Amino acid sequence: MTGAALTVQAAMNRPISASACWQALGWGVACALAVFLTIFPGVRGAQAEERATEISRQVKAAYLYKFTSFAEWPSGAFANATSPVVIGVMGDDTLADELEQVVAGRTVNGRPLTVRKLRRGEDSLDGVHMLFVGRVDKSRMAEVLATLKGRPILTVTDADDALTLGSMINFVVTGERLRFEVALATTEVSRIKISALMLAAAYRVVKEPS
Amino acid sequence: MSWLPFTANRHGLPTPCVYALGIVLGLDVLCCHAAVSTRELANLSFDELANIRITSVSKKDERLGDAAASVFVITQDDIRRSGASSLPEALRLAPNLHVAQVSANGYAISARGFNNSAANKLLVLINGRSVYTPLFSGVFWDVQNVMLEDVERIEVISGPGGTLWGTNAVNGVINVISRAAQDTQGTLASAGAGTRGTDAVLRHGGPWGEDGSYRVYGKYADRRSTETAAGTAVDDTSHMAQIGFRMDWGSSGGVWTVQGNAYDGAEGQPAPGAIVTGARFTLGSIALSGANLLTRWERALDQGASVSVQAYYDGTRRTVPPTFSEALDIVDVQLQHALSPMGMHAPVWGVGYRYGMDRVDNSPFISFLPAQLEQKWANVFAQDEMTLRDDLRLTIGARIERNDYTGNEFLPSARLAWKVAPEHLLWGAASRTVRAPSRLDRDVFVPITPGSARFLLIGGPDVRSEIAHVFELGYRGQPSDRLSYSATLYHADYDDLRTQEVIRSPLTVFFSNRMEGSTNGLEMWGTYQATPAWRLRGGWTVQRESLTPRPDSNDQTTPLNVGKDPAHMWQLRSSLDLSGERELDVGIRHVAALSNPEVPAYTVLDIRYGWHPRPGLEAAVGAQNLGGTGHGEFTDVRTRSELAPSLFFKLLARF
Repeated sequence: MTGAALTVQAAMNRPISASACWQALGWGVACALAVFLTIFPGVRGAQAEERATEISRQVKAAYLYKFTSFAEWPSGAFANATSPVVIGVMGDDTLADELEQVVAGRTVNGRPLTVRKLRRGEDSLDGVHMLFVGRVDKSRMAEVLATLKGRPILTVTDADDALTLGSMINFVVTGERLRFEVALATTEVSRIKISALMLAAAYRVVKEPS
Repeated sequence: MSWLPFTANRHGLPTPCVYALGIVLGLDVLCCHAAVSTRELANLSFDELANIRITSVSKKDERLGDAAASVFVITQDDIRRSGASSLPEALRLAPNLHVAQVSANGYAISARGFNNSAANKLLVLINGRSVYTPLFSGVFWDVQNVMLEDVERIEVISGPGGTLWGTNAVNGVINVISRAAQDTQGTLASAGAGTRGTDAVLRHGGPWGEDGSYRVYGKYADRRSTETAAGTAVDDTSHMAQIGFRMDWGSSGGVWTVQGNAYDGAEGQPAPGAIVTGARFTLGSIALSGANLLTRWERALDQGASVSVQAYYDGTRRTVPPTFSEALDIVDVQLQHALSPMGMHAPVWGVGYRYGMDRVDNSPFISFLPAQLEQKWANVFAQDEMTLRDDLRLTIGARIERNDYTGNEFLPSARLAWKVAPEHLLWGAASRTVRAPSRLDRDVFVPITPGSARFLLIGGPDVRSEIAHVFELGYRGQPSDRLSYSATLYHADYDDLRTQEVIRSPLTVFFSNRMEGSTNGLEMWGTYQATPAWRLRGGWTVQRESLTPRPDSNDQTTPLNVGKDPAHMWQLRSSLDLSGERELDVGIRHVAALSNPEVPAYTVLDIRYGWHPRPGLEAAVGAQNLGGTGHGEFTDVRTRSELAPSLFFKLLARF
């Protein structure tokens, strides 16, 4: 009946454990402040506003850095356990500069990273583990990729249909976002293993040889 | 039991409103223009990198890390690895939400307290569509079916969002954002089965026209009935089928999105029923159906400006025998325009209009009068983000929102973000937000005996808006590649909270606004990448809440609602990648005791193990609610479901 529904339950009026709560809150704040105070070496200003191309380049640099930690090169690719991962950048010096900032001080599986700017046809690709080919014309790109076939160099490109030219990883823009596609067959020929986690994040994985 | 016209059963409660302009840019408007250094980007996961918009300037290029608000983001990867099979279960990943399951399909979800059916202060948006029902300012969580495999991310903002999202975004906003059609190409089929029920989804996506993509999907879910702690069967079996599509096309001239969903299903109605009036009646099975269609157009203009227009229709049908049935149709249109930055200023403004037609079939037990009601809401907002210095941003904004009950509501806010170092943000905010009355507050009538013309409850003809003033201080940092964390301290003062006043003679109850309240709390969470293959996440919230009736109130039940919120909660999750593409996830969560009704504190463990039997095929087994024989989470022990340990198996194929 309605009367029962209206019964007021004063018995529920039990205060929550306020002191315990505040004590916990106090500790939380103390911890937050302690963390806050210890991590600021100094106050630096944030950077200026970025433009679209700038963002795109930054995201590419971030991807390139991340690829190195999700790829596994064949045993002979490095001189020893601490020799650096060498990233070659062809045709995009601005990106190379950006990438240099990213990798400075970082290591991948105990290896430092170095960035090498490569001139077309001038510099040797010996010792390079990952090569990014930027703004070069298609014939030139096909030529570079052809010479690398079977070598343990992870090739990354930023051009339509680059996978069919022999590239292993290619950037694609979709839905205003930068993603990448992977040619699994091409990496296998070069004995480079790509982590499943990276493949899961890929926009597209091509398994058959092109 | 206190007088509750609607129990928490099966309605999440929180709530509200209406205008959701902000969603068009997701959270972007909340934040800024601060530049992102490449070094910071390199710390992001692949999924996060893939979420950064790169083709347009300014507002869209920002990261959540720069938002001056308490934001927790649940990514697609998080959802997959949690083993969640429904939206409310996925929301358990957010440390800043209290997700309490009542029955197989019934959830109560809230941020920063007020997790009860009388106060509804959380706004939920699914792809820009507000899923609130103006009937009682709540979310019917049982019909918010989202294909989780296609969710890009869920942004959970605790704290006020009134300026961008409107009245009723008082204590938080949940934005569920699905992937664009071009990101869900190919066919996906998935089937899951477990002790709680079965799920199946099928989706196919492909190119459409020259520069477009589409996807279509269907999903089906059913849930088995549960039992109370005493072993009594709870009438909560359910089945639900849903179909939908999404199309995206366009380029620099403008990007179009069209998406739609339709669902149909039924579920048992657990005791004490969706509506409790005190009268005895036999509860019938609930019939549910609905359909919605949304279109959005966005265009980047010169020099960093952008414009977007969104319109949608949302229809829902709910039949709850014997108490009521409702047919609600909503049409919502909104426009948002971000001007190109002028010096230090980056203004955004927008307008919105919403029309609702609500038809309730009343019963002898309860009536909404008028039974048929047209409602209109209109809003205008403007916000300016000022770059005071390279490292200092001040965002000031206000919204005026008009509703039929209380007229114009004013929702201002100010946010200051100080980038004390490139990877460290200190922010503070002050906001005024409002929960506008719903039909439940104003139009509800309960007869003294079923069918009588004399009423025991006569609604609240004078119910006003509930008002909150909220002050926040937050800090978000990433001191190294492997560690990131966030902490937010808040204090909120509430006024004009809804109460149930009693007149002795003749015995009558009516709603009024005669209570004040305050909350103080701390929200903290962080992520630690212990090794490249092992990630740890933790979250902890603590809150103190008090509700004080004013001297002119004789309501003795509503102030006890503080007992519906836990004083603290914590969770820890470990995500480990094993060799051979296998992954192991373990999550443990603790929720402190509730006192009204009494719910003991609980700590439960969820485990999931996933592997790839062959390329394109994912398999997972898991167990949930481990650690004891079972636990309850919300409402009275005599009716709430006892959540026993459960097992599930899932198979997913992409081709």
